[in-house]
Amino acid sequence: MTSRRYVQLDVFADRPGAGNPLAVVLDAEGLDDATMQAIARWTRLPETTFVFPATKSEASYGIRIFSPRREVPFAGHPSVGTAHAVLEAGLATPRDGLLVQDGIAGLLPLHVIGSGATRTIAVRTPRAKVMEIASPQDARLHDVLDALPLGNLPPALMDGGRRWWLAELRDEAALRAATPPWEAIGKLAQETESMGMCVFARSDNPVYFLAVRAWVGAPAQFEDAASGAANATLAAWLASQNALPGSDGRYRISQGREVGYDAIIELQVDGEGEVWSGGRICNVVTGRIDW
Amino acid sequence: MTARCYLQLDVFADRPGAGNPLGVVFDASDLEADAMQAYAAWANLSETIFFLPPTAAEADYRVRIFTPRQELSFAGHPSVGAAWAALDSGLAQAKEGLLVQECAAGLLPVRIEQRNAMRLVHVRAPQAREVLTGGAHTDGLASALQGLPLGELAPVLWNNGPSWWLVELADAAAVRAMQPNLSAIAALTMASNAVGLAVFGRTDDSDHDLAARAYCPADGIPEDPVTGSANASIAALLHHAGALPGADRPGPYRRYIASQGREIGRNGRVEVQVDHENEVWIGGQVQAVIRGSVDW
Repeated sequence: MTSRRYVQLDVFADRPGAGNPLAVVLDAEGLDDATMQAIARWTRLPETTFVFPATKSEASYGIRIFSPRREVPFAGHPSVGTAHAVLEAGLATPRDGLLVQDGIAGLLPLHVIGSGATRTIAVRTPRAKVMEIASPQDARLHDVLDALPLGNLPPALMDGGRRWWLAELRDEAALRAATPPWEAIGKLAQETESMGMCVFARSDNPVYFLAVRAWVGAPAQFEDAASGAANATLAAWLASQNALPGSDGRYRISQGREVGYDAIIELQVDGEGEVWSGGRICNVVTGRIDW
Repeated sequence: MTARCYLQLDVFADRPGAGNPLGVVFDASDLEADAMQAYAAWANLSETIFFLPPTAAEADYRVRIFTPRQELSFAGHPSVGAAWAALDSGLAQAKEGLLVQECAAGLLPVRIEQRNAMRLVHVRAPQAREVLTGGAHTDGLASALQGLPLGELAPVLWNNGPSWWLVELADAAAVRAMQPNLSAIAALTMASNAVGLAVFGRTDDSDHDLAARAYCPADGIPEDPVTGSANASIAALLHHAGALPGADRPGPYRRYIASQGREIGRNGRVEVQVDHENEVWIGGQVQAVIRGSVDW
C-alpha cells in the first residue's frame, strides 16, 4: 500500500458544488491499469485521472482518464481539472502560458490564464465539423423541437469526436423553462448516431452570453451538468455562421441550473479556428490516498 | 468556506477497494442540512456522514447520514464507519468495548472488538420482522426468480427499517453465478415497497459461511457492493428458522461470515452475530483510503 497525493475538484465552477466533480491521483507511478480502474470505480465520480511524470520532452505530464467503467481516451473537464491539480502540486509550470498533457489521445495543449482564485484553464478541443444543416420541419427533429420556440439559426448536426445536434431557442427564459421530450431525444440520438440535442439561447446576463442545456439521448437519457464537448461543437458552429457572441471569439456560457448545478464554461475560438474550452476550478478535497 | 477534516473509508473491507465507500466530514456543527445534502449529492457516494457534538449525555458522538438524495435516520455501513472514524480521530474512546452513537434514529450501541492488530466494529441492527404479503406478489416473485435454483427456505419479505426480499438459493455457487433479471426485480420491489432483493447461499468454504448479493434496480443501484441491512435481515430470518450457519462454533455469540461483492469487483466481508437477546449485530473491518480536508 502506497500513499499518494489526492484531490477532488469541482471543474467549471466559481464555487464548490456548481460544476462537474473530478478525482485526481497524483504521483501515480506504479499503479497498473486494473488498479486505476478499481480506484475509479470506488470513487464513484464521473471521472478519475492519474498523473504520471512526462516521458516526452514536449509534455508537461502524463495523464490517464478513467470513468467508473472504462478508460476514456480524452475528455474535456478531466483534462482541465488535472492541469489545475498539477499546477497546485507544483508538478509542472506553464511554458508561454501553456501546459501540454500526454494521454492516450496524444499531446494536447492547455491554456493557463491568470493566477489564484480567478485562474482559468482551457483545453484545446478536437476540431469539429458541420455534418448537416437541417430544417426545423425535418421529420427526425420534429418531435424534439415541436414544442420549443426556435431562434434564428437553423438546427445543425456537428461532429467533434462525438456528434451533437444543436438548436437555438428564442431566449433564455424559454430555454430554462423547456421540458426535455426524452422519448423523442432518445429516438433522435439512436437514429442519427449522436449524443442527443444541445439547445442554446442568447442571454443578456452580465456574466455569460449564452445559456446552454445538453440532453443526452442514448444509451441513457439524462441532462448533462457541464459539457465541455457539446459546448466546443457549439462554438465551432457559431464561428462557422459568423454568429459568435462576445468579443475576440471569447465568451462564457451558463449550464446545469435545471439539474441542480451552476456551471460557467469559457469558450474561445482562436485565430486558427481552434476551439478552447475551460473555466475555473475549486479544490474540494485535498489529501492523500492509500491503496 | 471552511476546511474540515475529511476521511473516505472503505467499510466491510480487509483491503482498500474491497468494501463499500463512505465519506466522513468532521466538525460539521455549522453546516446547514441543505449544505450537507448538497455535498452528499456532489460526492456521489452511497452515503456521506457528518460529525456533530452529541445532544444526549449518554452519547459518545453524533452523526447525520445522507445519501445523494436524502437523509437517512440509520444505516449499517455508515454506522460501522462512523464508530471507526470516531475512534481513529480521538473524538471518542470506547468504554469496556462499547460506544454509543447518536443519530436521527436515536441512540445506538456499538461494540468494538480488537483482534490482534485488527479492529472490528459491530453495530446492532434494528429488529427485523417478516412482512406478510398474503401471496400478493407470487407472480412478480416468480418472474424475478425464474430459472434460479432455490434453497430450502421459501422467499419472504422482511423489514428492519428498509424492506428486503430474502431468497435462499441452492448454494453459494448458485449465488455467484446468478444473472439477475433486473427489470423483473425492479417491478417486484416497486410493487411491494421493498428497497431491493437479496439472495444468499451456504458454502463450506473456509473463508466464509454464506455468499450474498443484493439488488436495488428500482433505486438506481443495479447491485449494491456490500449491504449491512440486507445481511442483518438474512441473519434474522436464518435465526428465526433455526438455520444459522456456524451454530456449533464456540464463543459467546453465534456468528458467521457473509461474503458479498465479488461479482462486481469487490470482496466485502460482513461478520454477523446474534446475541443472547436475539439481537443481530453487523460488523466488519474498515480501511482509511483517503485522508485530508474538505472545503465546502
